[in-house]
Amino acid sequence: MKRTLVFAALAVAVGAAVAATALGGNAGSDRIGSSAAPTGTDGALLRCGKTRTIGVAAPITGDAASIGQQQLRWAKYYVARYNATHKRTKFRVVSGDTQLPDTAQAIQVAERFASNSKILGVVGPAGSQEVQVSSAPFRSGGLGYVSGSATRTSLTNDGTRKGYFFRTVPNDDQQGPKVANHIRTVLRATRVVVIDAQNSYSTGLSDTVEAALKNQGATVRRESVNEKDTTDFSSLVARIPGDTQVVYVPWQLAPKAQLFGQQLRAAGKTARLFGSDGLFDPDSFKIPGSLVSFFPIDLKSKVITAYRRGPGKGATELFGLPSYVAADVVVRAVDKACRNGTATRGEVRRNITATVIPKAQSLLGFTVKFVQKANAPLGPGDMQRPADFGIYQISNTGAYVRVA
Amino acid sequence: MELPLAFDAQLFIQLTVNGVTLGSLYALIALGYSLVYGILKLLNFAHGDVYMVGAFIGYGVLTALGGPLSLDIALVPLIVLMFLAAMLGSGALGVLIERFAYRPLRDAPRLAPLISALGVSFFLQNSALLLLGAGFRSYDSFLLGSKQPELFVPGPLVDPVFVIHGVNVQTIQVVVVSVTVGLMVALTLFVARTQLGKAMRATAFDREAAAMMGIDVDRVIASTFFIGSVLAGAAGVMFGLLFSQVFHLMGFLAGLKGFTAAVVGGIGSIPGAMLGGLLVGLAESYAAGYVGGRWSDLFVFGILILVLLVRPSGLLGARAINKV
Repeated sequence: MKRTLVFAALAVAVGAAVAATALGGNAGSDRIGSSAAPTGTDGALLRCGKTRTIGVAAPITGDAASIGQQQLRWAKYYVARYNATHKRTKFRVVSGDTQLPDTAQAIQVAERFASNSKILGVVGPAGSQEVQVSSAPFRSGGLGYVSGSATRTSLTNDGTRKGYFFRTVPNDDQQGPKVANHIRTVLRATRVVVIDAQNSYSTGLSDTVEAALKNQGATVRRESVNEKDTTDFSSLVARIPGDTQVVYVPWQLAPKAQLFGQQLRAAGKTARLFGSDGLFDPDSFKIPGSLVSFFPIDLKSKVITAYRRGPGKGATELFGLPSYVAADVVVRAVDKACRNGTATRGEVRRNITATVIPKAQSLLGFTVKFVQKANAPLGPGDMQRPADFGIYQISNTGAYVRVA
Repeated sequence: MELPLAFDAQLFIQLTVNGVTLGSLYALIALGYSLVYGILKLLNFAHGDVYMVGAFIGYGVLTALGGPLSLDIALVPLIVLMFLAAMLGSGALGVLIERFAYRPLRDAPRLAPLISALGVSFFLQNSALLLLGAGFRSYDSFLLGSKQPELFVPGPLVDPVFVIHGVNVQTIQVVVVSVTVGLMVALTLFVARTQLGKAMRATAFDREAAAMMGIDVDRVIASTFFIGSVLAGAAGVMFGLLFSQVFHLMGFLAGLKGFTAAVVGGIGSIPGAMLGGLLVGLAESYAAGYVGGRWSDLFVFGILILVLLVRPSGLLGARAINKV
């Protein structure tokens, strides 16, 4: 019996160590994605019918379910609003659970969507690493996909996904330098701690901000934490020097950042928190004086208010809002392709490329229009300027106020 | 890997306080593993999820009584109610799990209940996901009981009770360690001095012989699950009060670490669970503080491997395995 116990415990230990190592190693997944040549599916003619189908790929269960479900709800909310206002045509959502950070699931979802002939376009996937590994199946199926959260610059700039991949969020090279400039020129901070969350989204942004801050003469200390699995940040807080002026946290789980901020305050440290777009969550992240980068949105918009009352069940869940816009992009493209009753996935992709959503309708505070030719830091599939990040400050009452 | 910081007494004390607090939670979870293993020789991998359910029950009570920022009752009775509800609810859940997932498999090959335990674990996780959603629920312990939460004035739980070398030891940290020690002492006395405790020891020693001596083994086993789950429920509420955020997957890693603590201390041993919990908590805290957060789990599970290689029965396991 003792031997059984020893084997079971060893198995648990080895499994946990392997899992921890694997999760910690996500940052190196950049090379996984590859492109493949388009196949015949690209031009297959599909009868549109009254009800058209789009796919939504998001981490609906698993460790990142809290953000994936927001994205799914926002995307479905767009479709519900569309269906309520259009009598002749309706849309149906097929959801795929990518279970971020398990990229194998993202590949399976992409393959499933690619082989489902009813699906004409896709919203998602959520994470940059998911976009990378999904590229080949989406491309071989001829599907265009619009992510509401994958921000890694290379996804559009390396040119391998041109005409297939699009995003309704600005990229890291737009966000990082803006954050660094604000820290140095507005906050005038010279002692900064950058804490990455050990995933590709976070390490990418951390690298960009760290480099930009160092170029501007700041002293930067780099820390790292597994945001997802850490329940107690007090040991990390203990490592932060008392004279630190700003702590940059490009994380995606706002409740964890809230806990980190509270433990920082409880330890008597006064450094100001600066979060990335993943922390733009007025319901969960509300440490007064903290800053968050996000794209300009109208927080008083009727759509956001209606979402809060409806599917949000009292929460705005703004991290998922770009997925609403992504659904808007895909639905418009499908509608346009289906004008003559039939469509190909290639037509839908070309329509996505040419999509224009006027500022008044986009919820993002600017006109949504995609870049056609690379113009660093923008690549094909990025949104054209003035799509950019703004800086918001959290007031004493928890309100997000735009300051830059 | 980052180089360790130069020795800093304040940092060391801070990490020690953090480690002891965290270790207390692990110790309570470890006790559940130890008790069940002592009686049934079963690794109850659903135990971490019972702890998760306990944390949600505590959150439910908190919400029902006004929510963290607008309490309808005073803080102390609220916390007592949260503990009571979570402990009773988790205890009842533990009994149900034993009745429906383990008892029918008691005479099955040893692998069957182990797989059943994993199944129950996933069942509880996904039930919580389905019923409560994937979002984090917050006890808001930083502001809980605050007189001016709107101005972000901290509540009494994070007030310093005393200061050691510049390190604040918060009320909630003292509460967690005190409650854990109290429950440990109560459990030790219960097992040593009550009739049910004696029956538990007899059943652990030889189930068939205990039955022949007139002990109702089913009742004893159900009681063991109840007690272990009660402790998990208490740990769940303590977790919420310490770290605010509860969510449907919180039981997985905590369960693994509780299990590690149980094995390190000597599974089946009550003092071993406490010792194992403290070791795991301290290892995690020191690793996070001196080496970096990404390495803490490596150290924790490294200790497990080391102990298993050097002393497979755990640090205090040799005597206790047959005596519980």
